[in-house]
Amino acid sequence: MSKPRVGIFGLTSCAGDQLAILNCEDELLDIIGAVDLKSFVMAQSDNEEKEFDVAFVEGAVVTEENEEKLREVREKSAILVAIGTCACWGGIPASANGIERVELYRQVYDTEEDYFKCGRTVLPLKEIVRVDLSVPGCPIEKDQIIAAVGSLLHGVSPVLPTYAVCTECRFKENRCLLVKDDLLCCGPITLAGCGARCPSHGLPCKGCRGPVEEPNAASEFDILKEKGYTRHDLEKAFRTFAYSIEIPERA
Amino acid sequence: MVARTIPSHANIRLLAKKNLGDLLEVLGRWGTVYAPVEKQPDVYTFAETTDLSAIALGYLRTALPPKRFMYPPEERLYNFTLSKGFEEPPQSEDRQILFGVHPCDIHAFSILDLVFAGPYPEPRYFKRRRRTAIIGLDCLPDVNCFCYSMDTDSVERGFDLFLTDIGEDYFVRVGSSWGEEVVRACKDLFTGLKEGSIEEYKRRADARSRMFESHVEMSDMPQIMELEFSNPLWEELGEKCLSCGSCSIVCPTCYCYDIIDQFDLKGDSGSRTRRWDSCLFKEFAQVAGFNFRQDRSTRVKLRYYHKQIAFVEEYGRSSCVGCGRCIETCPAKINIIEVLNEIRGKKVMSHAG
Repeated sequence: MSKPRVGIFGLTSCAGDQLAILNCEDELLDIIGAVDLKSFVMAQSDNEEKEFDVAFVEGAVVTEENEEKLREVREKSAILVAIGTCACWGGIPASANGIERVELYRQVYDTEEDYFKCGRTVLPLKEIVRVDLSVPGCPIEKDQIIAAVGSLLHGVSPVLPTYAVCTECRFKENRCLLVKDDLLCCGPITLAGCGARCPSHGLPCKGCRGPVEEPNAASEFDILKEKGYTRHDLEKAFRTFAYSIEIPERA
Repeated sequence: MVARTIPSHANIRLLAKKNLGDLLEVLGRWGTVYAPVEKQPDVYTFAETTDLSAIALGYLRTALPPKRFMYPPEERLYNFTLSKGFEEPPQSEDRQILFGVHPCDIHAFSILDLVFAGPYPEPRYFKRRRRTAIIGLDCLPDVNCFCYSMDTDSVERGFDLFLTDIGEDYFVRVGSSWGEEVVRACKDLFTGLKEGSIEEYKRRADARSRMFESHVEMSDMPQIMELEFSNPLWEELGEKCLSCGSCSIVCPTCYCYDIIDQFDLKGDSGSRTRRWDSCLFKEFAQVAGFNFRQDRSTRVKLRYYHKQIAFVEEYGRSSCVGCGRCIETCPAKINIIEVLNEIRGKKVMSHAG
């Protein structure tokens, strides 16, 4: 059996997910040995961009160029895996959505010109092309990318957590920052997989892994409202990494 | 009036409180001792220690119940390779002592025993159970404790030794031959009953039973729950529930698990892992192409119906022991005491009132 042809690509993001792959130091040779790595601009030269069995794509679609690249990769790939919260949910770049763009150009670049052609709504990959598998995280977790590669080699999807950060936090017997300390913790609506890393260090969950499949944002809002937080506080917290989370009004 | 002689009870001793540290030291020679410690403010866990000064003797409830010592949250069941097939990773043979287990959690072990004993006995659970000694400890309730209503506030079996605070001494009940061996091996630490110890034991038992603030009338509960299947309360709970699974993870009797197979990068090997699951998770009832508990309300309802009806039908009692962990843990403040009372059409009753 020939090794699967793999490409690893970055759109707009900090490139931290690609770096997380390179950080799999102990397993890196196994990964490289198991696949035929055709393209990984961050790590190698002489990249070949013909056809891929699996493409891993990091980053949000911020520019027209990003969209073209994404469509091209989708076209050439049998399986497309979104890696990182930017690719899965829009991430930090998408927190610009809903803000007057000219105002942002002025603040960031001191000009009103759309110099980088980034005036469009920032979108996650799934809003533009079919995504076969999502591995969120900011950055992605090492063990999950290894699990994903291992499973894909066998032609199956990896079993990644679908439950909330609270689950892992309870496993660790952490003091609940939401219930006991009244902190604005996004744990109940945020996808697990990080081992509740921040709450384990006394910091409330920021939602960096994006939401669970059906986040009950209305209930989380009710809980936090009682503790004195405003709708604005919550939207700011929930939407830092996933711009699309809505907090429904209760009837 | 005839002076009452102190009867000798073969299975009852006294342990002077000043001797507790020595007892822990002896237990530590037999195996690894896990006792309640305060790991963060107001958060207790069973941690390895024989240091009496580190042990929170007056703890209310640990964050996770002690079931994790028999049934860990996550456990690798097998490694598999193309050449060797399935291989079970070696399991520890070390003896362990759970010190300071409250009556509700001891009852919970008896319930898990029923579940894991059949029809397909779970060898890992019982292997750990057999190498574990349980030293019970009495406790005083808070508002979330309703073991009194669940008939689990006191315990007659399921422990090796059980310690009840009666002032200067612990009233020690011996519940197993191993417990008897400990008592015999530590002759200097234990004494027979003293003048007044029985009266003090009874006085404290009465006083404790009056301390429960929260009550649920459990009589005929399965039938009443059947009748309330369409109560709008279930929808309301579905609106509140976050599906975070916290209630089931901290439950001393929840036993559902998921099985995860993972292939490794070599292409010819992998592993099978068991991890605690929760009926509150959306995927719990996901089968090929269909989810038969799509709505949160049906999942919350299932949790109650399984504990209070299905389990009773199968094992003759509710699988809730009234430990109050789910109440303390739920971010959305779903409170089983209130739910059960509302289902009965009652407000929470105060025993003290």
